[in-house]
Amino acid sequence: LSSGINAEWPLRPGEEFNTYLKNKTLRRPSYVIVTKTVAVLRELVVSSTWHHPTDLIRILKLYARYLPLKQSNETVVSNIVRRVLKIVREECSPTEGNAGLSVFFKKDSPKSSVETGDQNELKENICAGIEELEREVENSKNSIIKMALEHITDEVILTYGYSITVRDFLLHGHRKRNFRLVVCESGPSLKGHQMARECAEGGLDTTLIADSAAFAMIHIVNKIIIGTHTIMADGALRALNGTHQLALAAKHYAVPVIVCAALYKLSPTHLCSYDHDAFNKVIGPEMMVPFRNANLHSRVLVSNPEFDYVPGDLVELYITNIGGHAPSYFYRIVSELYHFKDFDLDSETSHDDT
Amino acid sequence: MVVDSRPDLRGVNACERLTEADIPCSYVYINSATYVMKDQVTKVLLSADALLANGYVLGSVGTAMLALIAHKYNKPVIVCCETYKFSERVQTDSILFNELADPKDMLTTKTGAASPLSTDPAQRKVNLVNLVYDATPPTLVSIVITEIAELPCSSAPVILRRDGERRC
Repeated sequence: LSSGINAEWPLRPGEEFNTYLKNKTLRRPSYVIVTKTVAVLRELVVSSTWHHPTDLIRILKLYARYLPLKQSNETVVSNIVRRVLKIVREECSPTEGNAGLSVFFKKDSPKSSVETGDQNELKENICAGIEELEREVENSKNSIIKMALEHITDEVILTYGYSITVRDFLLHGHRKRNFRLVVCESGPSLKGHQMARECAEGGLDTTLIADSAAFAMIHIVNKIIIGTHTIMADGALRALNGTHQLALAAKHYAVPVIVCAALYKLSPTHLCSYDHDAFNKVIGPEMMVPFRNANLHSRVLVSNPEFDYVPGDLVELYITNIGGHAPSYFYRIVSELYHFKDFDLDSETSHDDT
Repeated sequence: MVVDSRPDLRGVNACERLTEADIPCSYVYINSATYVMKDQVTKVLLSADALLANGYVLGSVGTAMLALIAHKYNKPVIVCCETYKFSERVQTDSILFNELADPKDMLTTKTGAASPLSTDPAQRKVNLVNLVYDATPPTLVSIVITEIAELPCSSAPVILRRDGERRC
């Protein structure tokens, strides 16, 4: 923390958020985490002392390293930090980053607030940018579910795991279309049970099947609509355990796989290894084999990975809050949403060359 | 490595018998099969409940999914099946002819935690389908081992004809 700047971040909201992230017993939808992150970052921008946007960038990066991001495995927090950093960098130098045709058109660009040296105006502009981000996050789910009628017809739809976005997408489609829903149990966490219950309560004709029966049932299914934990930079998915096998079965029967996810789930990272630290998270086996079978636990290796890597070529379409995209387009969206210097929030050197 | 599936969870018994025989064992749930198949598995051994005349393998539900994953990662799929299980029936999918087990089995969990569907009004609204069997296409199976020979799936009608001629 030897940065030479007066890095006083507001301790209370920052610490509360820290403990909130560490607490794994709560079931937390991504949307809730994102809104909290935006609030904490706005608080940080407003109350910490900084004179130049590059100082603020350093403060934000230090804060990102203070948060237990690897422990909690919530990539949405790092994504929001990167979005806020992009907002701050745009205030720094408005023409940088959006290179291309815009450079030719901005001959007489108005003086940026950095040049005029007005710190209050700078703060206001950054806060306005963060508020716009907040509004985008609030409206992301509604933007996605409005597209339901364009993608659902009278058919059989398969879903996997529990996603609030997908649930509301299907319920919105149910208003005018008459379709049947098949839900996979999604063991060992059995999130599919919760999904089946909520969809059935919303009036959908729901059938629950075991994950092993997915291949058997998939030939009568017309499309698969799923949510995800994270979208990787190449359009691949980091989704709930069992999504990859479902996507493989879908490819075998040529059933389209549609993923509904907001853009705060898009992470500018690529898969480098399938290991525990790099990509996956192996969690406790008590969901599968209870600790009563102690002799089994001591002699048998029980693996319970939480995530699955699904390559982009198995996904037909992504429905995001800015519209529908093919997996191949995400490299472009990444370069528009995030600045390349913020891709790696962890490394020591990254906060020297802001 | 034993791959298990709900709701029967018979893989736990398989693990117990293997450890008694001093065979080192790993246990995964079928959802993690793609995670282990890439690096940790060299071949897949499956059992069949029947081998149909068009080469489809009828096994317990989940067999087809595992064969598909193994096929994708180019691992050999070996099915063990005695010739008395060969059948003249033909089938191309797992739905038109199958068995349904007790749907309430899907609601029980080994950890004892109640499923969100355990309450009665929830159960009435959701259809629970507990399939027993699964038809695996012959293209996903490398070899079938029977007590008389090692055959490809397409040899099923040949064996059936031979047995038919013997009985006549």
